[in-house]
Amino acid sequence: MVLQVENLHTHLHLKRGILRAVDGVSLSVGEGETLGLVGESGSGKTLTGLSLLRLLPKGSGRIVEGSIRLDGQELTTLPEAAMAQTIRGRRIAMIMQDPMTSLNPVFSIGDQVSNPLRNHNIAQGAALRSKVVEVLTQVRIPSAEKRLGDYPHQFSGGQRQRIVAAMAIGCTPRLLVADEPTTALDVTIQVQIIALLRQIQADTGTGIILITHDLGVAASLCHRIAVMYAGRIVETGPVRRIYKSPSHPYTQALLAAIPRLGEKRSRLQAIPGQPPSLIDPPTGCRFAPRCPARMEKCAEQPPIVQLADGHEAACWKLA
Amino acid sequence: MLRLVLRRLWQGAISILGASVIIFVISRLSGDPVVMLVPPDAPPSMIAEIRAQYGLDQPLVWQYLLFLGHALSGDFGNSYRWQMPALQLILDRLPATIQLAACGLLFSVALAVPIGVLSAVHRGGWIDRIGRVFAMLGQAMPAFWVGLLLILVFAVQLNWLPAFGHGTPAHVVLPAIALGWYPVAAQTRIVRSAMLDVLDSDHIRLSRALGTPERLIVWKYALRNAAVPLLTMLGVYFAAMLGGAFVVETIFAWPGVGRTVVEAVFSRDFPVVQAGVLFTSILFVLSNLLVDLSYGLVDPRIRDVR
Repeated sequence: MVLQVENLHTHLHLKRGILRAVDGVSLSVGEGETLGLVGESGSGKTLTGLSLLRLLPKGSGRIVEGSIRLDGQELTTLPEAAMAQTIRGRRIAMIMQDPMTSLNPVFSIGDQVSNPLRNHNIAQGAALRSKVVEVLTQVRIPSAEKRLGDYPHQFSGGQRQRIVAAMAIGCTPRLLVADEPTTALDVTIQVQIIALLRQIQADTGTGIILITHDLGVAASLCHRIAVMYAGRIVETGPVRRIYKSPSHPYTQALLAAIPRLGEKRSRLQAIPGQPPSLIDPPTGCRFAPRCPARMEKCAEQPPIVQLADGHEAACWKLA
Repeated sequence: MLRLVLRRLWQGAISILGASVIIFVISRLSGDPVVMLVPPDAPPSMIAEIRAQYGLDQPLVWQYLLFLGHALSGDFGNSYRWQMPALQLILDRLPATIQLAACGLLFSVALAVPIGVLSAVHRGGWIDRIGRVFAMLGQAMPAFWVGLLLILVFAVQLNWLPAFGHGTPAHVVLPAIALGWYPVAAQTRIVRSAMLDVLDSDHIRLSRALGTPERLIVWKYALRNAAVPLLTMLGVYFAAMLGGAFVVETIFAWPGVGRTVVEAVFSRDFPVVQAGVLFTSILFVLSNLLVDLSYGLVDPRIRDVR
């Protein structure tokens, strides 16, 4: 296993109270595997990703419980300096949502792509330059050598996301956290970025955590899917099983909410109600207030039920 | 790039022309200079003669056109008071003024950038609080007071630096501090808020996620972004220092343009006022041009757009 997260609790200490953004998340990513972390906005996907890098909002964010192990090494207790020097950008890299704002507008892309390589002592001098060209070529930036001195505004959105990817993969990280890498892009460019991530994985064997709310993107890229709701993972399984036989009522509702081409349906099928507040969440199953299959037992914490090989869901209905 | 420079120079020329009209008219509204030149009991015929000698009996428009024509060939007329070319008088004092303004600006930036950056990085911390008090002090202390205080402490009490005059590098220290003191506050706040903006941006977050050392993030990747609003301000302040150094120049007996022009205003020495204001406005235009050009150095987006 590249990454093993167990019972992770990340809290945000806000003025209104303690927000339990990540509340007991366990997940794992294997070598060359892509795990899709799926859920609606506010479900804790991004904070789970940021927790892996220990890049929580300064002052308010804190990992209060649980363990994060990268190749067996515990990260939650690692000193901050060691996180910056040996983990961030070196063994876990991140790609963020908006390629238009992810690059520094006043530095050349040559500088920005070489920055992680320089900081992690991967290469220097002429070797650094050729490495930068190599990585940029790998992410298919045309005539990369000539464009090292160019600035982000001289590239298209899709190209910028490729450059961000180049920054992330330069040090051949063990794990790539891609937070909505395609959300801000046109559909045709999305396909290219997905193909790029696949290619990167084939080339380097890196594990990928793909954070997305787009079930289509998740289906096309992931080996396994973890569905998050209100700070918890409600269902995990191989991608085919999740899409063919979703077991948790929330996953079912989520999949039913996708409109399909050619379907004659006058109204979009939304999930009634709203996700609970994570400052004072309901005890028991957090989806219960919106769940069509709600039972009395749902007021208690549901057990994690093993359904088949690698497919599990946290629901009383399945127990 | 060349087109930008030419366009700015053209716009600048128009501004300077406008400034020349305004100063020409306003200085003549201040009264008759001849009255200051002749004895109180001079006969009207003598006054009329002197007026004719300086061309002051001509219609105002004609006087202006004459002035402009001569000015274009480098002739600003003779000072009524000093009986020497006004241009010479101003040009002699211009270097001292530029030197003082540049040193004042340097002092304010050297103070404002570190304080502003550290205030943003340690937002709400003790540096931020001290910075705020400092900024308030800066705005609450007028230049003449700061100047007198500096003289009292560093020249009279400690005897470290000369109290007035011009010549050695030591002479410029106190006037530069007095001049640069006030803008420190505003510049600190600009740097602080620009840095807060940048430090909260996606690209800085990505830099952190990729393990960039905090030192590089702050002083390299964030600071250059924050430099753009600061630059705009520096242009304005440099120009203001060129034109507004009068008080400081007077306190420290600094032989600059500001002091010369103000003295000329009191004696209605029109040629000197005109030459002085015109050269100050030329410097103003040039310093703004310099700022416009330096944007391109800092921000590549501007380089391409214009």
